[in-house]
Amino acid sequence: MKIRIPWLGVITTLVCLMVISPFLVIVPVSFTSARYLSFPPQGFSLQWYQKILDRPEFTDAFLFSLQLAAVTAVVATLIGTLAALAIHKYNVPGKGFVTTLLMSPLTVPSIIIGIAALLFFTRIGLGGSFAGLLLAHILIAVPYVVRLTLTGLSSFDYTLERAAYIMGAKPFNVFWDITLPLLRPAILSGLIFSFLTSFDNVTVSLFLVAPDTTTLPLAIFSYMQETLDPLVASISSVVILLSLVFIFLLERVYGLDRLFGTNTQSH
Amino acid sequence: MSAPATRAKRAAYQAALLLLVPAFIILLGVFVIPMLYIFLMSFQDAKEQFTFDNYILFVKDPYYIGILWRTVKVSLLTVLCCLLLGYPVALFLSKASGKMRGFVTFLIISPHLISVVIRNFGWVVILGDKGWINTILMNLGLIEKPLRLLYNELGVVIGLTDAFIVYMVLSISTSLYAVDSSLFKAAGILGASKWTMFRTITLPLSLPGILAGTTLVFSLSMSAFVTPALMGGTSVKVLPVITYEKIMATLNWPLGAALAFLLLASTVVLVTVFSKLVETKRYKEVFAS
Repeated sequence: MKIRIPWLGVITTLVCLMVISPFLVIVPVSFTSARYLSFPPQGFSLQWYQKILDRPEFTDAFLFSLQLAAVTAVVATLIGTLAALAIHKYNVPGKGFVTTLLMSPLTVPSIIIGIAALLFFTRIGLGGSFAGLLLAHILIAVPYVVRLTLTGLSSFDYTLERAAYIMGAKPFNVFWDITLPLLRPAILSGLIFSFLTSFDNVTVSLFLVAPDTTTLPLAIFSYMQETLDPLVASISSVVILLSLVFIFLLERVYGLDRLFGTNTQSH
Repeated sequence: MSAPATRAKRAAYQAALLLLVPAFIILLGVFVIPMLYIFLMSFQDAKEQFTFDNYILFVKDPYYIGILWRTVKVSLLTVLCCLLLGYPVALFLSKASGKMRGFVTFLIISPHLISVVIRNFGWVVILGDKGWINTILMNLGLIEKPLRLLYNELGVVIGLTDAFIVYMVLSISTSLYAVDSSLFKAAGILGASKWTMFRTITLPLSLPGILAGTTLVFSLSMSAFVTPALMGGTSVKVLPVITYEKIMATLNWPLGAALAFLLLASTVVLVTVFSKLVETKRYKEVFAS
């Protein structure tokens, strides 16, 4: 009898290893006591974490990215949820067309969205402004929120709303006590996902940041093109930790497979 | 229908339109109008006169044709790697139990939510001349000088495969989940071997997933900027990188705008031709028998 090698399992393990390997090397490297990137990482020290604090360009960029992502998340979730409600609840004529239109920014490469925004914003005097950057981030986050909310609404039970109306509830109370709580998972995941979309973005920000205020991924991107040292690893580790918190939150609230299951189909 | 009902309906309709207004303002002001604006700009010369020069330059200058070919080549190689590595994973997922399936899906999706800049940095640490792979191989005495794994096309393909394989896996696994398991039972009763079952059931039924994953990964690779910039260095300049340079370094905005549309157009054309080819082939297969 010959030994059967579970090929599928082996390849799957390798692919899983491949996609997480960047993080498996970054975290150990960030604790190195060496002054350069070395393998294997030497000793243990927090020096590269301390050095982040001496670098206002990174700490400022970090705070700026957090603010930008937070504002983007709130505004995009608001706009996207309202649009999804309009599509699903009120049966707008040309529903399919409206949905396609709202999703259309996803079908255009973000580098082109960035270029279009830069050239047009410069023309109308918004070039290099916070408003321009924020608007572009909102644009790329809204389609995801619309899709998440539409998925959430597909299992929405309208009889609950109708029952509340029949019992004499006011429209606002129906919305506040029935509609909103039922939509909470979709809204919460919209918030988290648009936060991450904005916080991770490079390709759109690249064209729209002002020279003195840059986002964190962009600061890392520029720094990496000049120097490669463990400082990048320590900053990256901080971002990885932060992202992991949000990823686990998203998994609890919504489920990552659902998030991406719908994601791939519309492309 | 009575008048009040129509009125109520109209009120609801107006409410719906009102809810859509903010989304459409953003869509128009930040996407539709800017896209039209740069489309018009791509037909302008330095004096804002109408011209086709920006597009003609692309067709006439072998430099740009070379760039486009390199971009297509890197994207095709990425698709191939994603398909070869992603198909077995999708197959594994379709056979796995619910818990295992959830775990593997989570492992494959979650890196996707962390910035690509950070993932690329990890790859630089792994693949560089003094990186982990080269150090290990040299210490083992298997190689004498470091392998060139980075700042060439190989590096870009590795980075892009890591970034986009998730789309291939999810596209194919979605189509595999839908396969009716009684087909395998029937084939088994009729004495089909495992390979025959794969060839005649699994593979044909997963074709839509392969097609979806392929077009998706190809389009994403064609327009990828960060990974070619960080893992290709100055030697692998692809179309998005050149476009970026035209816009931000040379400040030739009309040419940059034209390049952006050429990138979009070439991707759409190639994806359409590919889908048509696959469809015609399947059509023939179905009607030849």
